[in-house]
Amino acid sequence: MLKKSAANVAGLVLALFFLFPTYWMITSALKPKGSTITSDYDLVPFSVTMSNFVTAWTKPGFLSSLGNSLMVTLTAVLASIIVGITAAVAMSRFSFRGRKSFVLLMLVAQMAPFEALLIPMFLMMRDLQLYEHLTSLVLVYFAVTLPFCAWTLRGFVNGIPIELEEAAMVDGCGRWGAFQKVTLPLLGPGLVATSVFAFITAWNEFLFAKVLIRSQDRETLPVWLSGFQTAFGTDWGGAMAASVLFTVPALVFFLIVQRKMVAGVTAGAVKG
Amino acid sequence: MTAVKTTETAAPAGGKTPPALPPAVTGGARKRRRRGGAFDRALPYLLLAPALIAILWLIGFPVVSVFVTSFRKLNLGELVRGEIVWTGLDNYVAVLQDERFWTVTLRTVVFTVAVVGVSVGAGLMIALLMRKLSGWVRVALQVTMLCAWAMPILASATVYIWMFDQNYGILNKTLVQLGFEQFNGHSWFGSGTSTLAVVGLLIVWQAIPFLAFSLYAGVLGVPRDLYEAAGIDGATAWQTFRAVTWPEIKSLLMMVTFLSTLWDFKVFAQIWVFKEGGPSGESTTLAVMQYLEGIAKSHFGVAAAISVLMMIILGLITFQYLRKLLQTEEGKI
Repeated sequence: MLKKSAANVAGLVLALFFLFPTYWMITSALKPKGSTITSDYDLVPFSVTMSNFVTAWTKPGFLSSLGNSLMVTLTAVLASIIVGITAAVAMSRFSFRGRKSFVLLMLVAQMAPFEALLIPMFLMMRDLQLYEHLTSLVLVYFAVTLPFCAWTLRGFVNGIPIELEEAAMVDGCGRWGAFQKVTLPLLGPGLVATSVFAFITAWNEFLFAKVLIRSQDRETLPVWLSGFQTAFGTDWGGAMAASVLFTVPALVFFLIVQRKMVAGVTAGAVKG
Repeated sequence: MTAVKTTETAAPAGGKTPPALPPAVTGGARKRRRRGGAFDRALPYLLLAPALIAILWLIGFPVVSVFVTSFRKLNLGELVRGEIVWTGLDNYVAVLQDERFWTVTLRTVVFTVAVVGVSVGAGLMIALLMRKLSGWVRVALQVTMLCAWAMPILASATVYIWMFDQNYGILNKTLVQLGFEQFNGHSWFGSGTSTLAVVGLLIVWQAIPFLAFSLYAGVLGVPRDLYEAAGIDGATAWQTFRAVTWPEIKSLLMMVTFLSTLWDFKVFAQIWVFKEGGPSGESTTLAVMQYLEGIAKSHFGVAAAISVLMMIILGLITFQYLRKLLQTEEGKI
């Protein structure tokens, strides 16, 4: 089976290619100060320390930007999920005039090129006196994630047989009771998956965070990290430790829904 | 009437939020028993209201506003004084007559085509390769791809800048170890092309996992007996791919290519953190140019014109994709 082993070798080489930056980030973060910037060839760390993490953690701005990022991201995602789920239920469970146009609007809104709306967003936030306020970022991230959340949740609600709700209503539940006791629990996994994607989108966002917030105590983690050369100079160990700390929440959330992502992409697509 | 549509329980993937395409717009409406009451009839609209208001306010209004702004002279002075100065097509004339704009547009298009081509091509190869791997190698490859995918853009960009560092970067050190002395102190960010190549590598590296995973799922959807039949008929690997795999994954491949094009065309963060569009503007793309004109120079009207031109290009790509989609699906949607 020469062919199979050739394929395996190629697979391992590719795995190294994908792993290396992560490996390099972590090992650079673990190297003691002074041994990161060296002309020696140091593919494997000679000694290991946690001091870079302490440096990054205590850097001015790290904790506040971490807090800002968490606050903005979680608020926006929560709002998107709540508004998204009401819209999803309306689109999926009711028939009414204009339903189709609304579904279409959701679909089109998902494709809105937000980067190209930078200027009007900036002007609008300025007019609303929200420039330099984290509220402006919450609003933008809410807008970016809402169509996606509503659309995806609609798919999940569609997947729950309406008969279950009807049965509950026959048994004496009100419409709200039936939704709350039957549909909502079944929607759990869908809610988790959707909110994780929304989370990662907002967690990553850089352009609006850079434009709408100028003052340092309000900036989010991506913007803080983009100025790492001001914060760390040539302290690459510290910069790598900060990158690790930035990656951990995203990676944890990512692993939660890993399976759903792969199944989900194809579910809607491989019909033709 | 109450058939359950399982095909739409999709949670599309990606660090960004990809739209779940192609859409099955029809269906899904469950007829409820009419129950006359005014509240019941108003209920769906009440449920939709928050989302509708949010979309019209936070997406619809900016879209209109970007067009309106592009016909105004709006620099810092006008903004502070609150003046409204209409200039007709002046902003567009200024942009379209600017040689830099055409250079940047061409650069953006070439960059997008290269990044999309390489990442989709590599994603497809890896998807096909994964089928042939032993179990543990496949798992190893998938886990490492997940790591790359999950890394926040700013973190991965910082790591790449460090790896490609002129004096202490591991890449230059490795190349010197391998005997390529000329890379000792080689600056990867000395020219626009070289900078964009590194940025492109970063984007490709992070884009491949999504592409490979979704295409792999598509490849897995191909019935096994088709491959067996092809094997019995003595088809070569290429013939098998053309006749068996290709028809099954064509629409999926088209979709991910389309999505990648939309994403890569608008890339800002990666390009900005590497060199801020430099050296001397040589790695500036349309997204960066829009930022520089609008936010850095406070020429909001001109920047809005660039935004509109970007939207037109993206709109044309979307239109082409949807047209192709409708052709291949023969109006099934």
